[in-house]
Amino acid sequence: MKRKIGLIVNPVAGMGGSVGLKGTDGDMGRRSREMGARPVTPFRTADLLSALKCREEIEFFAAPGPMGADYVHDLGVDITEVGSIGAETTARDTIDIAGCMRGLGVDLIIFVGGDGTARNMCDAVGLDVPVVGVPSGVKVFSPVFSTSARAAASLVDAFVAGSDLIEQEVMDIDEDIFRQGRLAARLYGYMKVPRVAGMLQGEKRPSTSSASSEANKKEIAGAVLREMDEETLYLLGPGTTVKAVADEIGVPKTLLGVDAVYGRALEGRDINEKEILDLIARFPKRKIVVTMLGGNGFIFGRGNRQFTPEVIRQVGRENIIVVGEKDKVHKVNVLRVDTGDTGLDDQLCGFIRVWIGYNEDMIMKVVS
Amino acid sequence: MKAPVRLHMNEMPYAAPEGVVSAAREGLAHLHRYADGEEMQVLKELVAETSGTDARRVVLSPGSDILLRELVYLFSRGRNVMVPSPSFFSTIQAAKHTASRITSLRLFPPRFDLDPDMILELVREPSLVIIDNPNNPTGRPLLDRPMVESLLGNPDVLLVIDEAYHGFFPETFADMVQQHRNLAVTRTLDKIYSLAGARIGYMVAGDAFLEPFSLIPVLLPQASLYAAVEAMRNPEYVSVNVARIIQERDRMTEALRRLNAVVYPSSANFLLVETGQDDIAPRLRERGVLITDLSNQMAPGYVRVSIGSREENDIFLDAYEKINA
Repeated sequence: MKRKIGLIVNPVAGMGGSVGLKGTDGDMGRRSREMGARPVTPFRTADLLSALKCREEIEFFAAPGPMGADYVHDLGVDITEVGSIGAETTARDTIDIAGCMRGLGVDLIIFVGGDGTARNMCDAVGLDVPVVGVPSGVKVFSPVFSTSARAAASLVDAFVAGSDLIEQEVMDIDEDIFRQGRLAARLYGYMKVPRVAGMLQGEKRPSTSSASSEANKKEIAGAVLREMDEETLYLLGPGTTVKAVADEIGVPKTLLGVDAVYGRALEGRDINEKEILDLIARFPKRKIVVTMLGGNGFIFGRGNRQFTPEVIRQVGRENIIVVGEKDKVHKVNVLRVDTGDTGLDDQLCGFIRVWIGYNEDMIMKVVS
Repeated sequence: MKAPVRLHMNEMPYAAPEGVVSAAREGLAHLHRYADGEEMQVLKELVAETSGTDARRVVLSPGSDILLRELVYLFSRGRNVMVPSPSFFSTIQAAKHTASRITSLRLFPPRFDLDPDMILELVREPSLVIIDNPNNPTGRPLLDRPMVESLLGNPDVLLVIDEAYHGFFPETFADMVQQHRNLAVTRTLDKIYSLAGARIGYMVAGDAFLEPFSLIPVLLPQASLYAAVEAMRNPEYVSVNVARIIQERDRMTEALRRLNAVVYPSSANFLLVETGQDDIAPRLRERGVLITDLSNQMAPGYVRVSIGSREENDIFLDAYEKINA
C-alpha cells in the first residue's frame, strides 16, 4: 500500500537572506519582495523531489499552488490537493493545511521553510504526525530540520522503508532581537522525524565568551591580519570570530551581517547580495572570511545567505578563509554547505583548512 | 566509600603476575642507587628483539608521553607538526613556539580514517607527522604500509608512529626503522604488560632521530626497570590477558548496541561510543564509574570507555542501562 505523504511549502521562506534581512516573519516577507529578493523554496522543493527514490511508493497530499501542488504536478504522480489559499500566503495557511492533512490520516508531512514554518507545523501536528523539514529559511536553528534538501529526500526514503522515529526540537528565535545582532533562542516544542544518522542538523550552539575563547578569537584574528593583503577586498561574514578579525583591523562589524574591508578600511556595511556583487565587480582580488555555525558546522547556507551561489562562484573556493575557535571546531565532525545550488555545493566539498589559532589550523572535510 | 570502577585510563584490569611484582620488590632494595647501565642494556635488548631491530636503535624513557614531548622539542623547529584530531597528544602544544605551524587532521565519523592523498598533499613543506596507530580515542588504525612508505619517501618528513596499543592490534611498523632514517615508533609497557604504574616507554628509531637522544642520558627507576625486564623475559601472561580483553570488548560492543548506543569498531582496549547524551560521563561518575568524556575534542555525546574486567564492565553496563531506562 502506498504511503500518504504531505507537502507544505512556505513560498516566502528564505527570501530575506540575500537582501540582508534576518527572516521573513510578519511584514518582512513583503519587504524582502520589495527589495528584489527571489523565491528560494521552489529550488529547494525541486531538489528534494528530484532526489526522492521512493516516488512510486507515495501518494502525495499537497497544499495548493505555490504552497505545494505546483511542484508535484510535473512529477506525474498521484496527488490530492488539501485546503485553499489566497493571493498572499500566511502562517495561518500552513497551520490549517497541516491540520487538514492530519485529519486525512497522512503518514508524514514534508515541509519546506525556516524556523517560523517549523513552529507553525509544531502548532498544527505536534507529535501526532512525523515530519521532514527541508531547510529553506534565513534562520534554520531547529534541530528538526534535515541538513539539506537531498538529506531530506533520504529521510523520506528511510521513512517509507520503515525507519525509526526520534523527537527533535523546534526552536523559537525572536527575529526582532536577531536583527539587532543578538541571538535569543528558546525551546518551542518537539516533532517526530525519521532517524537516519548524519541527516539531521544538530542544534546551533551559541558562541562562548570565556576568557580563553576570547583569547583564541584574538589569536585567530592576529593570524588573519598577518596574512592580509592590502590590495584584496575582504568580505567578512557573520559571527563573533569574524568580528574579532574586524576588531583587530580596527573597523566596526555587523555581527549578523556581511561587511567589506579593503586596505584595512570599511568598504561596505551590512551589505546584501547586490552590494557584494557590485564590490566584486570593482575589486579584482577578493576573499571571503567565514566561520562555522556551532553545533552543525555550516559555513554557507545558514545565517549568511548574502553569500549567494553567484557571490561564492565569483570569489572562488581557493579564496575562502574559514576561521573557527577551537572549542567550536572540536565540537563539529564535518563542515557543511547548503547554498541552494547543488552543483556549487559539490564544488565546495572536500578538505579545507580552518584557522584555529595563531599558527594552528585544522584540516576538515566539507560535505553537503 | 567503594573505589570507583576505572574505565577512563585504558589501563589493564589484570595485575601483572607475581614474578613481575617480586622483581619490582627486588628493585626496591636498590632504591638508594641509580639504575645499573647493564640492566638498562638488558631491557634495550629485550625491546629490540620484540621490535625486530637492534638495541642501538632503542631509547628507553619513563613513559612514552615523555618521549613524545622530547620528540616535539627536538624536531619541531621550523616544521609543520601534524597530528590527528581527536587524539591525546597533549604535549603537542609544546610545539606552539617552535613549529612553523600545528596542523590537526580531523577524523570524522563513521570511519574516522585519514585520507592518504590529503596528508601527502600537506607534507610538501618540512613536517613532523605524529600519528597514533590505532588512534586513541577512535580505536581506528590510521596507517597502512603503502601510506607509510609514501610518507617516508619524502626526505622532508619525519614520521613518528605511536603504537601504544600494540598487542591489541597486530600490525606494526617498528621493523621499518632499520631501513628508514626518518621513522620512529614509540610504544609503552603500560598497557599489555599491565605495568601502567611502572611507567616504561620506549622508542625504536631511524638514524635521523637517534643522535640528539644519545645526548640525553636516561636512567629508569629501579623497581620499574626490574619489573620491565622480568615482564619481557616471561611475557606469556600478555597474550592471555589480551585475548580476555578482546573477548570483553566484543561483549561490551554488543551490549552497548543493544542499549541503542553507536559503538565504533576498535583495535585497542577501549571503545568510542556515541551516546547521544551530553552528560553521560558525570552521571556515570555519580554511580561510581569513571569513563572519558570527549566533549573537549569531539561533538557532544561521544565518550571513550576502557575495557575492564568482566565484573567492572558489568557494573558499567548496569549503570548505563539504568541511566537510559
